[in-house]
Amino acid sequence: MARVLLRFSKEIVDQPIISQVILEEKIPINILSAHIDQQGGEILADILSAHVENAIKAFRERGVTVEVRKLIEVSDEKCIDCGACVSLCPVNAITFEKNFSVAFNEEKCLGITCGLCVDACPVRAIGRVK
Amino acid sequence: MKKLAESSGIQVAYEEVDVVTTGTFGAMCSSGAIINLGHADPPIKIQRAWINDVEISHPGAAVDLYIGATSMSETKPFEYGGGHVIEDLIRGKEVELRATAYGTDCYPRTRVETTLTKEDLNQFYLLNFRNCYQRYNCATNSRDETIYTYMGKLLPRLGNATFSGAGELNPLMNDPDYETIGIGTRIFLGGAQGYVIGEGTQHNPGNQFGTLMARGDAKKMSQEFIRGAAFTKYGATLYVGVGIPIPILNEGIAKKVAIREEEIFTDVIDYGVPRRDRPKLGRVSYKELRSGKIAVGEKSVKVSSLSSLKKAKDIAENLKSWIENASFYLTAPVETLPTDTVAKPMRQTKEIAFVENVVQDAITCKEGEKIESVAQRIIKRSVNHVIVVDDQNKLKGIVTSWDITKAVAEEKRKLADIVTRRVITTTLDEPLEAASRKMAQHSISALPVINKDGKVLGIVTSEDISKLVGGRQYG
Repeated sequence: MARVLLRFSKEIVDQPIISQVILEEKIPINILSAHIDQQGGEILADILSAHVENAIKAFRERGVTVEVRKLIEVSDEKCIDCGACVSLCPVNAITFEKNFSVAFNEEKCLGITCGLCVDACPVRAIGRVK
Repeated sequence: MKKLAESSGIQVAYEEVDVVTTGTFGAMCSSGAIINLGHADPPIKIQRAWINDVEISHPGAAVDLYIGATSMSETKPFEYGGGHVIEDLIRGKEVELRATAYGTDCYPRTRVETTLTKEDLNQFYLLNFRNCYQRYNCATNSRDETIYTYMGKLLPRLGNATFSGAGELNPLMNDPDYETIGIGTRIFLGGAQGYVIGEGTQHNPGNQFGTLMARGDAKKMSQEFIRGAAFTKYGATLYVGVGIPIPILNEGIAKKVAIREEEIFTDVIDYGVPRRDRPKLGRVSYKELRSGKIAVGEKSVKVSSLSSLKKAKDIAENLKSWIENASFYLTAPVETLPTDTVAKPMRQTKEIAFVENVVQDAITCKEGEKIESVAQRIIKRSVNHVIVVDDQNKLKGIVTSWDITKAVAEEKRKLADIVTRRVITTTLDEPLEAASRKMAQHSISALPVINKDGKVLGIVTSEDISKLVGGRQYG
């Protein structure tokens, strides 16, 4: 499974691109979060590894900017394992380990489309990747 | 010790164990550091001073300054503050000092600017007037919006909860009658050895909210256990690590240190209500808090700590090894902490105003009405807001004179098309200042006043507040 961030410019944001890719290319896509404003739209989605290459190609052909990379960065050096972020995470990507250190599961993380934890960190150990 | 007491009984634990080490690592706002800069030439009697743009208070003679943990940077407020200055100094970083003065015959200088490290300071002592709460509240938020508090970020409609404190590892929780802790007790403070210098401010032993005042040599401390922090939209603070050894002098003390998480309870408090006495929504044990979920009424709420249990354990372990290798000696207190003080509320000699004092009758309408009839009511009653209610007088929405104007411009005919349905509301017992803050935050000029059942009791407008406040200064 790969996590991709799809960016739709305002020129194409009104087109049913996701549906086209699902129907025409027969690629199952799991939308995790979506956001739209005057500048355009952003969708975070999971795509099966076997389809990733075709999906990226299909999206790019339709004018979508596709990014596969991590979205939230955690600094282990800064983190004090307090847990202020844990109760905020809607997908349980941040949890306590047995020894009470705070663990961050990048694969579960919704990234910048969520970002609930970012401004809750008292030592600013969580950052959005720009 | 706790496990031993559980498995083999208090008697065996008492005979086997000499000392129990405890620890806690959390945000402790009433912390700070006293520094002495040494004299400048020509000398200056500092009146105001800043380090890295954070204002430092000047409580004493010429060059003694106190870095309060919560003082915020003038250039990076809410991100950098006194706590960070203390951490930076402990890390050995160079900081920028700027100071001004009025000038005297003996201290002629009026300005000084220089850079400093901790090595340049004569004294650099952590001097914390309230540390180490015995236990603390669990915070949640009933409002319809996210709030940012000293208990962290609280999501709307009980979306999460936070708590603080090390529970069964908390120093004062293990000696709840303060039999071994008092003035002169040597402790672990910020990675170095420090001392308890008395009870902390607001020390309230009657309901297990005891606190400590502490002092320690910050030059010897470590950033591992002293960390500057910033709570978004709340302010700066300092995370402090405190550890206290408790000598098991008798079986009574052995019994008390055997306390477990399930025996320590705290209240779930609604921080959505901006009053001194916030509503209690429930009572939970630290064991439940550690489980990650608590029940608040019918709802299961995700909960996590703001203080670090991992660091607290590190502190207790560190202290244990110091004692074992004889680099730390326990002391008997000169005087134990008081067990009979209470934390009183502030005496207020000027009354503060509440929504109740300015509430007006609301002009209402039903959703089925015509825009014209609502427009007529606005003119006739000379108001700007009409509240939409149902047959039970429950709030359904709000319409403003601006909405009506817009409807005319856009040729809309139905009231339902122009009603604002997500309405920000207030209650009769909300302080006016809080209501006025809500209006400013949402750029609106009126709030419907509702009761618990959502029934409309009236309306408060920014005009009414201005009239009442008049020349009087709030804040």
